[in-house]
Amino acid sequence: MIRDATTRAWVMLMMLSAASVMVALTDGAGFGASSAGAVILLFAWMKARVILARYLGLWQAPGWLSGFNWVLGLYCLLLLGLFLAPGLVR
Amino acid sequence: MDDGPENASANALETLPGDLMMWVLIVSELLVFGAGLAAFLSVRITDPSGFSLAQARLSPTAAGINTIVLITSGFLAARALNLRLLAQRSAARWHLVAAIGLGAIFMALKIDEYMEKAGEGISTETHPFFTFYYLLTGFHAAHVLAGMVILALVAWKDDPGDMEAGTAFWHMVDLVWVLLFPVIYLLG
Repeated sequence: MIRDATTRAWVMLMMLSAASVMVALTDGAGFGASSAGAVILLFAWMKARVILARYLGLWQAPGWLSGFNWVLGLYCLLLLGLFLAPGLVR
Repeated sequence: MDDGPENASANALETLPGDLMMWVLIVSELLVFGAGLAAFLSVRITDPSGFSLAQARLSPTAAGINTIVLITSGFLAARALNLRLLAQRSAARWHLVAAIGLGAIFMALKIDEYMEKAGEGISTETHPFFTFYYLLTGFHAAHVLAGMVILALVAWKDDPGDMEAGTAFWHMVDLVWVLLFPVIYLLG
């Protein structure tokens, strides 16, 4: 168990980054590009949350952290929608 | 008596850690890169197979290694600030030097990637994918370079407030990359 929050954040970011590359390389382990894309963007959002909370210090301002998380979450959903759009308009 | 709406928003701003202008800059940069990434995926709608073929020319593993380099650099910058706040000035400076060193490795890998692409005859004109690729990753690399200079300045003049602002800029560069990396290199 890592006690230091900064180190915990770094470990989390490393794991999420490695997992993102693994998902991309395996194309979501057979679940297809759409699922892989959703997981990759979910991981991107989680990484952004960690950086905002722990490295940029927003854990000290929960209201702002929640606001940033919501906006970034909606933005990642927009990116997912744009990523999936070619399959929907076909 | 002093709890009116104006004071409430002033109090809300005061809860933000660090310098308010740094947060204005962070939000501005997120908006610029966010618009760029959304435009990239919007243009992709018109030619998904062309974008997929172009993306296959990139190495997600190499970009993943560069991500780990940048994230570790951000970790060292965060530790530097913690150490400075504990008045461990020398250790804080060394952490910043290491963070700058990792920034230099990120840049070296990025230049190597650009040279490899140039060697393959890939330019901004090759395909819209590569127009966005060079524009977005190049603009980000310029921020990495600026961040390295800023970290060097706050390592030299190590006022805690300046160091907090300087490391916040570096974390913003990190934050942009964790959004840019998956969209350009992984989503395909």
